[in-house]
Amino acid sequence: MWLLLMELRAPLVTLILTYAVSVLGLVLIPGETTAGEPYAVSFLDAFYIVSYTATTIGYGEIPYAFTETQKLWMLFVMYATVIAWLYSIGSVFSVLSDPKFRRLRAHQRTVSRIHHHKFPFWVLCGFGGAGSQLIRFLDQSGIRCVVVDDNQTRTDTARLSDLSYEVDVITGDVAEPQTLVDAGVTHSRCRGVLALTDQNQVNLTVATNVRILAPRLPVYARSSDDANTRNLRSFDTEVVVDPDRTATHSLVQLIQRPNAYAIYHELVDPDLNRLKLISIPDDGHWIVCASGRLARIIVDAFNHHNVRYCLVSPEPVEAAIRWVAGLGTEASTLRDADVDGASGIIAATEDDGDNLSILLTAQAEHPKLVTVARRNRPTSEPVFSQGNFSVVLREGRLIAQELFARIQTPLLHEFLGQLESMPEPLVAGIFERLAARRTDQDAELSHFAVHLVEAQAPGVIEALAHGSSIPLRVLLSDPGDGHRQLPAICLLVRRLNGDLIPFPGEGCGLQEGDELLIWGEVGVRGRIDWLLGRQDIFESVLANVMQPSRDGH
Amino acid sequence: MNTQRVWFAFFIVLALTLNFGFFVGEIDNPLHHHPIEFFCALVVSLIATVLKIGDRSHMGAVLLATSLVADFQLIAAAIVWGYASQVTGVVSPSVMASVVSLAGGAMLANLTSVVLLLAETIQLKR
Repeated sequence: MWLLLMELRAPLVTLILTYAVSVLGLVLIPGETTAGEPYAVSFLDAFYIVSYTATTIGYGEIPYAFTETQKLWMLFVMYATVIAWLYSIGSVFSVLSDPKFRRLRAHQRTVSRIHHHKFPFWVLCGFGGAGSQLIRFLDQSGIRCVVVDDNQTRTDTARLSDLSYEVDVITGDVAEPQTLVDAGVTHSRCRGVLALTDQNQVNLTVATNVRILAPRLPVYARSSDDANTRNLRSFDTEVVVDPDRTATHSLVQLIQRPNAYAIYHELVDPDLNRLKLISIPDDGHWIVCASGRLARIIVDAFNHHNVRYCLVSPEPVEAAIRWVAGLGTEASTLRDADVDGASGIIAATEDDGDNLSILLTAQAEHPKLVTVARRNRPTSEPVFSQGNFSVVLREGRLIAQELFARIQTPLLHEFLGQLESMPEPLVAGIFERLAARRTDQDAELSHFAVHLVEAQAPGVIEALAHGSSIPLRVLLSDPGDGHRQLPAICLLVRRLNGDLIPFPGEGCGLQEGDELLIWGEVGVRGRIDWLLGRQDIFESVLANVMQPSRDGH
Repeated sequence: MNTQRVWFAFFIVLALTLNFGFFVGEIDNPLHHHPIEFFCALVVSLIATVLKIGDRSHMGAVLLATSLVADFQLIAAAIVWGYASQVTGVVSPSVMASVVSLAGGAMLANLTSVVLLLAETIQLKR
């Protein structure tokens, strides 16, 4: 700011000097009244005349018509002051509208706004595929972010993205500690840092810098390299997400546990509000078209989980049990990989065109294949969403889902951990229990957490204090509408002592301090919040719901 | 030798000397105080201010402040004088006295600038 003001010195001095000389000249040159008597122009008149001449307004000759000498002087004044005026004003405006100056001002304003934030926020480093997806997911849960990226185009996109709040965006190199400080990592309201740039080294630098700048702040980092991941974990980076491993995990889940896959994606993806079950035939093998690191990881995971497969890749992979050389884009390669006997095909090369070509060829060969497409570039989205594929793997979205599950509510992450070891039939059982409570099977689904504490559920705490036992089904009753069952189920209860109860039965007794993860139709949340928030309503529902069971005994 | 420093020192000392020249004399006698000298003092003081704009050093900030004080005092004096001579038409001894005392205040600010400048220069020598 001050440096730019220095550029204004010369024009301002020029302006002052020209004005001074012009005014002085007018004062010193004698004038004449209309009667021909000598008259001296006063400083006020002189300054007035010079001012209106310089700004090209030109009111005329006051207070008396000019003498020849005065006219000569005025000629000088006109040219000198008009030029000086335009030059100075021009310089002022060019400094003010200088892109460098404006960027600097905008940056300073953003930084000061961030440092005055009154609400909690996350610092998101890297506004690529994952970052742009995650910020939208978090916005839907009312969690705000500050975006940092070194690319002007991407930060412009971030600034213009359609969010419910005005996002603060900083253009700068996140690998530099000052940028992180500007973005507010040392701010008391900062909840964590998301290092999601596509360079492992940069993410690592962000994580180390945050460790020192704000040791207690959680860091969630992306890493697509095993050595880098180990490095990040060595200084306790809270979460490290590897896009290739996440995609592979997703594939294994899809193939072996389609129910868990469906519930996982409904819960972690705010854009997907329905259970999308994909039926997976279990008789055939899977054709995997991939190369490089992803191919190695998929091969390892499939070997470990006993998934039958045939790898199609240009280079052989050491651990691969069955391997066919080629890209997979040609029918002959696919026939070599026994496409007719396959259950599904995974097109996961690094080229979107190849992936599309593989899947179209495979569909022509064997129309009933389960098709999994890997989408690399966000700009290819239209063909992948229009194409008739069973599953589309989007790297950015997978990372965003993974991180969203951890940020949104810790309960959700706990539940997903339980889900990992849950047998398939049990997961199918949940779907049936939810379906039984629903009247409209097409309504959108959502999940939320409920905390049984005085502030959120006064009625529950009061009743518990009086020694009554409250079964879970009371909470899942509609406060109006004859206390019918709400179309929702409880996925997880976390007790105050840390005990976890996955899929509690409807008779499960609630305790003070319980946290519940509830999953159901979109409107349910409002009903439950109403029931819990109003003590009188809760008491009447409790009495009403408990009545029949008392009669029964 | 820094040209910028030369110009700044020149203007700041010139502002003081011109102001002093205007200030001396009987305080309420218009004959002892020439308007053109006053005009020159004001212009020079303004230029000295502009030359300090954009100086990031601590000394620069203080010098900018003192010369802004001088400007305000002189502009106030100019307004009082201009109003009395042009609008009311009479420059009474009391008006003249207040003009000169305002200019005297400005001179004190100019003096501070010069002292600061000297202090800085002496420090540099050491």
